[in-house]
Amino acid sequence: MSQLNQVLLHESNRVGADLEAWFAAAGGQGLAKALAAPEAIIPLIREAGLRGLGGSGFPTYKKWGFVAAQSNSKEKYLICNGNEDEPGTFKDRILLQQAPHQVIEGATITALACGINHIIFYINPDQQKSIEAMREAVSQWQASEQIAAIEKVLGKTIEYRVLPSSGHYIGGEETAAIESVEGKFPFPRGKPPFPAESGVHGCPTLINNMETLSNVPHILRNGAEWFQGLGLGASTGTKIYCLTGDVLYPGAYELPMGTPLSTLINDYGGGMLLDKKLKAVFTGGPSNTLLTPKDLDVPLDYESVRERQSSLGTGAMIVISEGTGIVKRVSEYVSFFAHSSCGQCPPCKTGTHYAALLLSKIDTGQGSRADLDALENLCTILPGAGRCHMLDGALKVMESSLYHFRHEYEQALVL
Amino acid sequence: MTVSNGTPYSEALSAYQASAARPLKPAGDDTQTLLEQYHPDYRADTLDTIKVGPNSGDRCHRQLAELLQADARIDEADLAGAPVVKTDVLVIGGGGAGCAAALVARQAGAEVILATKLRLGDSNTVMAEGGIQASIEKSDTPQMHFDDTLKAGHFNAERELVAAMVKDGPDVIRWLIQQGMQFDLDEFGDLLTRRAGGTSANRVCYYRDYTGLEMMRVLREAVQNSDIDVWDYSPAVELLANESGHCAGAVLSNLKNCSYVQVVAKTVIIATGGIGRMHLNGFPTSNHFGATGDGLILAYRLGAKLRELDSFQYHPTGLAWPQHLAGSLITEGVRSAGTWLLNGHGERFIDELLPRDVVAAAILRECAEGRGITIEDGVCGVWLDTPGLELRNPGILQQRFPKLLNLGKKAGIDPSRSPLLIYPTLHYQNGGVVIDANGATTVPGLYCVGEASGGIHGKNRIMGNALLEIISFGRRAGEHAAAQRHNKGHKQVGLEHLSRLRRELTISGMPMERKSPMLFPDCAKFDDDADYDGLRRHRRNKVTQE
Repeated sequence: MSQLNQVLLHESNRVGADLEAWFAAAGGQGLAKALAAPEAIIPLIREAGLRGLGGSGFPTYKKWGFVAAQSNSKEKYLICNGNEDEPGTFKDRILLQQAPHQVIEGATITALACGINHIIFYINPDQQKSIEAMREAVSQWQASEQIAAIEKVLGKTIEYRVLPSSGHYIGGEETAAIESVEGKFPFPRGKPPFPAESGVHGCPTLINNMETLSNVPHILRNGAEWFQGLGLGASTGTKIYCLTGDVLYPGAYELPMGTPLSTLINDYGGGMLLDKKLKAVFTGGPSNTLLTPKDLDVPLDYESVRERQSSLGTGAMIVISEGTGIVKRVSEYVSFFAHSSCGQCPPCKTGTHYAALLLSKIDTGQGSRADLDALENLCTILPGAGRCHMLDGALKVMESSLYHFRHEYEQALVL
Repeated sequence: MTVSNGTPYSEALSAYQASAARPLKPAGDDTQTLLEQYHPDYRADTLDTIKVGPNSGDRCHRQLAELLQADARIDEADLAGAPVVKTDVLVIGGGGAGCAAALVARQAGAEVILATKLRLGDSNTVMAEGGIQASIEKSDTPQMHFDDTLKAGHFNAERELVAAMVKDGPDVIRWLIQQGMQFDLDEFGDLLTRRAGGTSANRVCYYRDYTGLEMMRVLREAVQNSDIDVWDYSPAVELLANESGHCAGAVLSNLKNCSYVQVVAKTVIIATGGIGRMHLNGFPTSNHFGATGDGLILAYRLGAKLRELDSFQYHPTGLAWPQHLAGSLITEGVRSAGTWLLNGHGERFIDELLPRDVVAAAILRECAEGRGITIEDGVCGVWLDTPGLELRNPGILQQRFPKLLNLGKKAGIDPSRSPLLIYPTLHYQNGGVVIDANGATTVPGLYCVGEASGGIHGKNRIMGNALLEIISFGRRAGEHAAAQRHNKGHKQVGLEHLSRLRRELTISGMPMERKSPMLFPDCAKFDDDADYDGLRRHRRNKVTQE
């Protein structure tokens, strides 16, 4: 693979938990610029056009701006979200294991920009290696000379903490992560108040994905124009796409934001396995509308994918070919959501469970038309009934599979 | 094999005379040279290097390599609408090992499904004639049994496994007797034993010359009288894996109504037997119709390591003539009772009680060097001197070898008057899936017992150890697998491992047209309607049209 456009996964950045090697690889330069002019960070990020790469695509500068504007609290929190648990996503673990200092430096710059003094690396406990690498890297930072300079500019002492999450999928949701940090079960909270106003222990809290934070040191070092130049078309920067499913070479590929789906599958994924035809792509979650062969030309950036009524999400692309049962796949994903539901909102708790039940019934050849009708009914009555977006995601993947592949459902019915 | 014309059959037969004494021809080559020159395992031109999977880099027979590196028969789409059945233990294979494992697992409290490709008892267990080894005589010890097994296997066997097996020996016999199996007894009711080729003591317990058949009879009855769920005509076409790549069950093909069933199980025990029906190197085989090595292929795909894949046993005494019975087994018991092997010149050319691979190689040497007996183009063999045995021990054939007499009747030859023309027959797969003393493979949740497993016999098996192995390890695996029923269930069950296989195959440039497991031998004839694959296609088309 060409390294021309690689940033986060570039060979020189993948030094592991070794601070000296990180500084030798031009690490620390971004931090130095941030320390010199902390007030210039947010405008720079705004100019660069960095967005939340954990799935929302929300402009990062806005989020930071809200937290920076909170002046009534001395304590502010940054949760670096590395809870990734959704099927088909595996980018954070690569970043955490191979370039932990990239994340830490990015988080530190973010803290400087927003006046944050508690940085929490919130990591899925199933990724033991990531946790070990981060613990090692954090202890190296705390022993380094940088800390004094950072605290001087910040005007407060800074805390770094590596916190294994509870391991629940729902723990990756913003407000659930806050509950988790407070030591409770990760039940998502209602909004408002938004975390920027009242998050961990009522203090302003910023939550960013590991991939978003990893970009920050490079933007500081190389400037906004450089970052804009990385993307294709109107998009900026790069994106780590997690390509899995029926392709020859699955893996994590860092490509310019806006790379067409066909390029990802054919040039990087080595084409479809056994040269079969593409049937569908489950994107980032998989809690979004399916992409179908007519969407092969779609540039993989937030706007373009949204135009096709789907979402880029975490960048996970689960490609399936002809010969794969859609009902089976959807049934698997929905039962994953049913398993993951925290259970505090009854529509989600019973709805996902019931949908999973109906799907598995249909998939195993025992479904009747009434079951299919019930399934469709769920798709219309449930959306928006949960506090967080998990229920909507589960319904979306179900609904779009019903839209595109209704004949497969019909075929599996016992008439 | 190369065969040069030897003495014509009729000429050799008229020159033949049963005689009380025949000197053994002095051995020319040492055994290693003999093996290297004449044993089929050593033919370099038939070997291929495996490129895909856990045994990459190992060499094995080309036919086997092709199957190990072939595409799966099914795709995820084939599972659409396939019913899911849940159980604790799924046993694949209805021979001796499978039945023993199923019985013990059931007794330990697990829910058990036993799926078999044909019918319960259609297996190589029933072909085992000679007997079962167990060190029960006063003059014998498990240690001697251990030493004999290791030595005959050219010291390639796994010591831990051999030790487990020989220590189980006497208890296995006791268990079999409890199940109702009969053995030949002396006048005081003690078990009779005889000596196997390549061993140092009388250790083989037997029942007439159909010990395996008798064993299968009682095991089958025991299974049928238990509440083990027996699924006939249900070959496994693929294993299922869970989210961590552990074995989570199997996809069975129901041959009766041509549909797939997914059996999701906490543990799976593969007891599918050997590969004789692959007819390696064009050899005839003593194996039953279903011995196509399916278990090896399925386990390999899921990531289980295999061993001694280049080592097969060619039993020295398979019937060579008449053609329709070619490959039928004549028990080693005949030789251990004192029958000689004679070449076309009427000479004893090898000590008949040497290990099987050496004797088989010696027969092949005689045939290759023109000292065999030729009956028609390409059919060659040596004499099994049964009339000589009868001459020295009047009545022994009638009393001890009824199955041999029956075989003679089918062939139209009276073994007590006329020698039998024999030629080595593909008999046993020495290697197989790597297991530990519990029968567990390198893939969690997957067990393998019986002929499909490897490591117990090294590169050559002695008579009687196969029957001991299936019961010893069948019981071990059954017990261990049953204990896993308390594990938490699988989160997600599917065929994800097939994508990995297909990727690796494509990257290594393997042809994707080949499908495995084989399920039925190439020689299998189906009616047009019942053609295994054809029927599926037919049905699928019909569904699409509707």
